[in-house]
Amino acid sequence: MAVPISQMWTVATYVLKNRLAGKKKYPLVLMLEPLFRCNLACAGCGKVQYPPHILKKQLSPEECFAAVEECGVPMVSLPGGEPLLHPQIVEIVNGLIARKKYIYLCTNALELKRRIHEFTPSKYLTFSVHLDGQREHHDMSVCREGGYDLAIEGIKEAVKRGFRVTPNSTFFDGTDPNMVRAYFDEVMAMGVEGIVLSPGYSYDKAPDQQHFLGRAKSRRLFRAILSNRKKSWKFNMSPLFLEFLMGKTDRNYECTPWGSPAYNIFGWQKPCYLLQDGYADSFKELMETTNWEGYGTASGNPQCANCMVSCGYEPTAVNHGFGSLSGFFAMAKAALFSSYKDKGALDLLNNHSTFAAQHSHFVKIESIAPAASLEETRA
Amino acid sequence: MSQPTQHPAVNVDELEVVDGRAYENLEGWVPELASEEDLRVALEKAFDYRGDISLTFKNGERVEAYVFNRHTGSGLADSYVQYFASNAPEKRKVSYAEIARIEFTGKDRAAGKHWEAWLQKYAEKKAAGEKNIQLVPEALD
Repeated sequence: MAVPISQMWTVATYVLKNRLAGKKKYPLVLMLEPLFRCNLACAGCGKVQYPPHILKKQLSPEECFAAVEECGVPMVSLPGGEPLLHPQIVEIVNGLIARKKYIYLCTNALELKRRIHEFTPSKYLTFSVHLDGQREHHDMSVCREGGYDLAIEGIKEAVKRGFRVTPNSTFFDGTDPNMVRAYFDEVMAMGVEGIVLSPGYSYDKAPDQQHFLGRAKSRRLFRAILSNRKKSWKFNMSPLFLEFLMGKTDRNYECTPWGSPAYNIFGWQKPCYLLQDGYADSFKELMETTNWEGYGTASGNPQCANCMVSCGYEPTAVNHGFGSLSGFFAMAKAALFSSYKDKGALDLLNNHSTFAAQHSHFVKIESIAPAASLEETRA
Repeated sequence: MSQPTQHPAVNVDELEVVDGRAYENLEGWVPELASEEDLRVALEKAFDYRGDISLTFKNGERVEAYVFNRHTGSGLADSYVQYFASNAPEKRKVSYAEIARIEFTGKDRAAGKHWEAWLQKYAEKKAAGEKNIQLVPEALD
């Protein structure tokens, strides 16, 4: 496991304190979106499709700090939009570090190399770099040729300067698990702390609505990817969450939508980071007025039918790992015996055509035909 | 707040792929608000819409705004939408009972931004010999 001991200790004591206090619902990570503006225009992204006057708005550092204090989390994720476009992002990061919050600054890294000198390495600060695979796939995924090269330059510079760096990947329908494993080799060789990954999710606001993995295919894909692991691979995630993604039978977790609450210019987002079912003016109002039973797979809510995303399920895994003896031993076992030998998973890798997309998503760049013959290409 | 639809018969763990929600082209739509239900439906769509709408209030005031929240109370008077007007910095709130007309006047910022559109654009630019092909975020001014 790549998460530093000090961070694990902070999270473990936070979970135990809440449990001992008898709290049933408490957040672990604040998804703090300081702005929606972005310097990419990814087809699958539902976070940046707003009118210009909304994209120009941003949270002030004081609003960010107030949100963090209000919900009391030990960890803060700074997604967006692109946080490095926020003119006061350094002040926000430094303020959160001063509050001893573990920060994941989620960036596409287009600006990282140019801006990195403004930040100071700290155990509290991690650059979580959006990287959806090897060059060809990442560039197509973010709809920008050269995006991968810029991101890699940023990663290497950040690693060189002693920052914590975790590439953060989302995988959609059509992903080749062999490609993902080769990508793991590439990024680990760059000296990153660990990898973060997640299956894509068909949230309502995404303008592209055709390329999302169902839970059965997700489990098969992650079993193929994460079994028979190389020793060199490290993951900056709960090992129990990874077992959940792989479909291990005793990791049949339910969603913890309040585990990663989201705050942005609109307020506290109901019910979670990906679904937008309204906003609350305060964290207290969010917790008290959201119909939590209406979300998660157990609820039967079709909006949650394919979700296995970390913002909902990793808090469940973390609470299990740090909140019970059985969970703690399972976590220790996962850390000690992390190779997950599995012949069936090897067969899946050798027959990776079973992961072909129902709708073609990952298409080789050189094989893309002119528009007139696109229909034939898809067939 | 609207309640999610329940579909307990589906075993979500057996789903291979999931198709997302069907896209609804609302740009330019001016809903007829003949009943309370018409108003509620239109405001629910306004909440989902990724562009500005124009709200005309019963006092004659008209605002162009992005609607980011709605709260459904027991009647129109205690139901409200929250919005950012395009020419003001602060959040505003208006009761359903004060709304006389809704027009989906702003550009739908999600329209046409799907994967196939990117593939098509990429293929066209590649065929034309272009380098550094990319989708560029829309200008803010």
